[in-house]
Amino acid sequence: MITLSQRREVGEFRKRYRWMALFVVLVFGGIIIRVAQVQLFQRDRWSGIAQQNITKTLELPATRGVIRDIEGRVVASNRPSYDVYATPRLLGSDDVDRIGSLMGLSKQDRNSLQTRLDELPPSRRTHQLELFSDIDREQLAALETHLAELPALDVVTVPLRDYPYATLGAHLIGYLNEVNAQDLERSSDPSAYRSGDRIGRSGLEKRYEPLLKGSRGFRRVVVDARGKALVGTRPDSLEVEMLKKPVPGHDIQLTIDMRLMEAFDRAFRPHPSGAAVVVDIHTGAVRALYSKPVYDPNEMSSGLSTKRYAELTGDPFRPLIDKTMYETYFPGSTFKVITALASLEDAVVDPMQRVECLGSLKIGRQKFRCNKRHDWVDLYESIVQSCNVYFWELAEQVGIERITRYAEAFGFAEQTGIGVNSEAKGFLATREWYIEHYGAFRIGYTLNTAIGQGNTRVTVLQLAMANAAIANGGTLYVPQVVQNVRAPDGSLSETFEPRIKREVGVSPQHLDLMRRALNDVVQEESGTAYRARNRDGVGVAGKTGTAQVVSRRGRSEESSSAWYLDRSHGWFAGFAPAEDPQVAFAVLVEHGGSGGASAAPIATSVMQQYLSEPEPTETE
Amino acid sequence: MAIGRTIRDDFDWPLFIAVSTIALFGVLNLYSATEGGRTSDAYVQQLYWLILGFGVAGLTVAIDYRHFERYGWVIYGACILALVLVFGLGRSVRGSTRWIALGGFSLQPSELMKIGLIIALAKYLHHDTKTGGRTLADLIIPGLILALPMALVLLQPDLGTAMVLAFIFASVMMLTQLKMRSVVTLLATFVVAAPVTWFYLLKDYQKERITAFWDRIGGTQTDLLDSGWHTHQSLVAIGSGGLTGKGFTQGTQTRFRFLPDQHTDFPFPVWAEEHGFLGAVLLISLYLFLVLWALRIASQAKDRFGAVVAVGVGAMIFWQTVVNRGMVSGLLPVVGMTLPLFSYGGSSLLSTMLGLGLLMNVSMRRFSH
Repeated sequence: MITLSQRREVGEFRKRYRWMALFVVLVFGGIIIRVAQVQLFQRDRWSGIAQQNITKTLELPATRGVIRDIEGRVVASNRPSYDVYATPRLLGSDDVDRIGSLMGLSKQDRNSLQTRLDELPPSRRTHQLELFSDIDREQLAALETHLAELPALDVVTVPLRDYPYATLGAHLIGYLNEVNAQDLERSSDPSAYRSGDRIGRSGLEKRYEPLLKGSRGFRRVVVDARGKALVGTRPDSLEVEMLKKPVPGHDIQLTIDMRLMEAFDRAFRPHPSGAAVVVDIHTGAVRALYSKPVYDPNEMSSGLSTKRYAELTGDPFRPLIDKTMYETYFPGSTFKVITALASLEDAVVDPMQRVECLGSLKIGRQKFRCNKRHDWVDLYESIVQSCNVYFWELAEQVGIERITRYAEAFGFAEQTGIGVNSEAKGFLATREWYIEHYGAFRIGYTLNTAIGQGNTRVTVLQLAMANAAIANGGTLYVPQVVQNVRAPDGSLSETFEPRIKREVGVSPQHLDLMRRALNDVVQEESGTAYRARNRDGVGVAGKTGTAQVVSRRGRSEESSSAWYLDRSHGWFAGFAPAEDPQVAFAVLVEHGGSGGASAAPIATSVMQQYLSEPEPTETE
Repeated sequence: MAIGRTIRDDFDWPLFIAVSTIALFGVLNLYSATEGGRTSDAYVQQLYWLILGFGVAGLTVAIDYRHFERYGWVIYGACILALVLVFGLGRSVRGSTRWIALGGFSLQPSELMKIGLIIALAKYLHHDTKTGGRTLADLIIPGLILALPMALVLLQPDLGTAMVLAFIFASVMMLTQLKMRSVVTLLATFVVAAPVTWFYLLKDYQKERITAFWDRIGGTQTDLLDSGWHTHQSLVAIGSGGLTGKGFTQGTQTRFRFLPDQHTDFPFPVWAEEHGFLGAVLLISLYLFLVLWALRIASQAKDRFGAVVAVGVGAMIFWQTVVNRGMVSGLLPVVGMTLPLFSYGGSSLLSTMLGLGLLMNVSMRRFSH
């Protein structure tokens, strides 16, 4: 029984219990709300971190697609490179020294490695970081024996690009180097590239990057807070994929024939620079794109020093420039074929009518010199003997408009559309252009244009394509360098059919006349390339040319090679075999002097090797 | 004879069941948290402590709490003495001296001090039967009763326990009819005292934790590896538990050692990770019930001593629970506070069981004379 006094004693407290209970309920309610917020509404975020916490992702790089030539010879493939990655968060205090001594690093290298690690922001410390790439066998052996004691380290085998033909065809094939910030930004798929990845930077490697690349995979392992891998452990709550196999890139087969490329390389040995293009006249498939000199793709992919870059850009033979399509030249006398066709088509002159060449022609006060005195020549003979005087006489009657129109029909002054690397358009000057730039139009401009000088600029590739159109009866093709693309399983994923750019619109008999004339350039004793003919071998037809060089004085005046750099370029462009044309070509020997003496022997000897050898029955 | 009748008739089954359930959950959770690790037998030790704890609680229940009232000052004095002894005989762990070795065990006198303080305050208020409004002057003696042990605990230093002592005091004093004017004055004092505490009393590591807390609240947290790391990993554990949890012994944060002090200060994240929101709510509800039940016992107590003891024990459990939960869920800075009954640790468990024994004692003797 409770007495009154006792009730009074505890009475002071009575009023408080309700408030206290309310307070307690509110506070616990608040905690429950907070727990609900974290567990129910933010669950995905925290789960993600929890899974990241206990997984370490090892990248499995994709094998880049292989590039082969038309006969299946490997042009670009991969070899293993051993790269060392570290997860900075898991590095112990003396691990850097350990790694340094295993790798045989100098004191200085060790310190810079330590600094690099120390400067990492915390958010990056849980991600793998590449420490070394392409380590040698000794370093690999040293690291692998101690790998168990260094949980932060991973050695990853990465395929590295390898070019069996070294520098041959480097402009076309291209090279890879490390991705930069812009690449990462530009890439539509953020996971496609990571810092340290390599990306096709030029040539086919760049053009077909998306196909060649493949896609990386990964393997995840479960680790504890110290980064120790717990083999065979897989918590039920881990909802992530543990393994994604890498998908190799597509393989590419070229239309290029590396045997032909090698033949050009041998034939060009006496000359420091030049270019050659060979195309199939029936398809536009490019058999050779040869440019000399070349850079070393391995050197380019490791990143050039400023000094080395200056050396390359300062080299008078311009190794960085693809001379088959990025550089333009005067076509010289090879252009006479176009002028001749313009005159024939529009029936401006009677081709049988003869003109007397006295070795030079005086127009107004200017005297234009021919290469020799040809006496009386008609159109046919003037092609064979490359008489300028005939063409000057002709030019006055044909006019610059007709020449330009036919040159355009044959694909000059426009990109061929080969689709690899940057391509120059070249240039054909018009009457309006001369008036705008020189104030007035003079007949001399037409005369120069008619023989491929003046302001006419062409690429070696354009000239080869134009000759293919002459050889095949008037079809101008789009040049193509890729024959097909194969998926990793070997199935064809894409084949490239011939693409016609246009019919040039020149009558067959006129083209036939030109073909016969080009044949006689080589076969007739009076022909400018007679001395380059293949005796009892493959008949080669073509037009010689000698392109003047715009003086380079002032740039390399001091150089002992200055005299050489002022020499004219030698051209030879045509088709073979002469009787039944299969391929068209254009060969340019920079500073080779006369085309008949420099370029024509290269073309005839390479065609001899290429077309007389039996088709190989097996691939290498 | 009297005891026998009381146990039969008035044994507080809800209190006993709630306490036992929480303690059982605690042992299971401890097993999960330490399984496969270096301290994998911790749950066995905890079981021993629990048995000892129930024994101590049983003894406490057996003695009429009015005897505790009679020897109130003696108990209080003994606790103070133990606190003083810490400085002479204490063992230093991680920069603070809190433990004294007692045979094979190490005892934490600051834990016992919580009970000592509750008893002392109860005894004082039992005899100070003022019913009208209380003023600040009435707080002077109880304030001194608090100040002495609190100062000793702060010297160790043990910020968490000092806070609990202050919270127990504040809660108990809220029972009395304190005048509004006095409450306002107290708050003002606190506002003045806070910066003084910050600049002169807190150690650097304590300040660091509080700064880390504010940084996270403000979203300016920069380095997860330092002070904010514990709370971050704790949130990862709780958050990734989701609605139903990852399952018993399946918590990855726990098993792969991302949680710091997972069996002492951070057992709740372990529980929440493995049992999810449902498990967390169940556990929180048990604590809520326990605290509300303590208030109910207080309201039914037959005298002021019993009422104050019940409120004091309820407050002790309430504040430790709230601070621990707030800390692991990122609402409060990390101060080092155990979760009563649930955390691993003998002293904490013993003092909690002592308190719960007193609570049961008050509950069972509400009708007796």
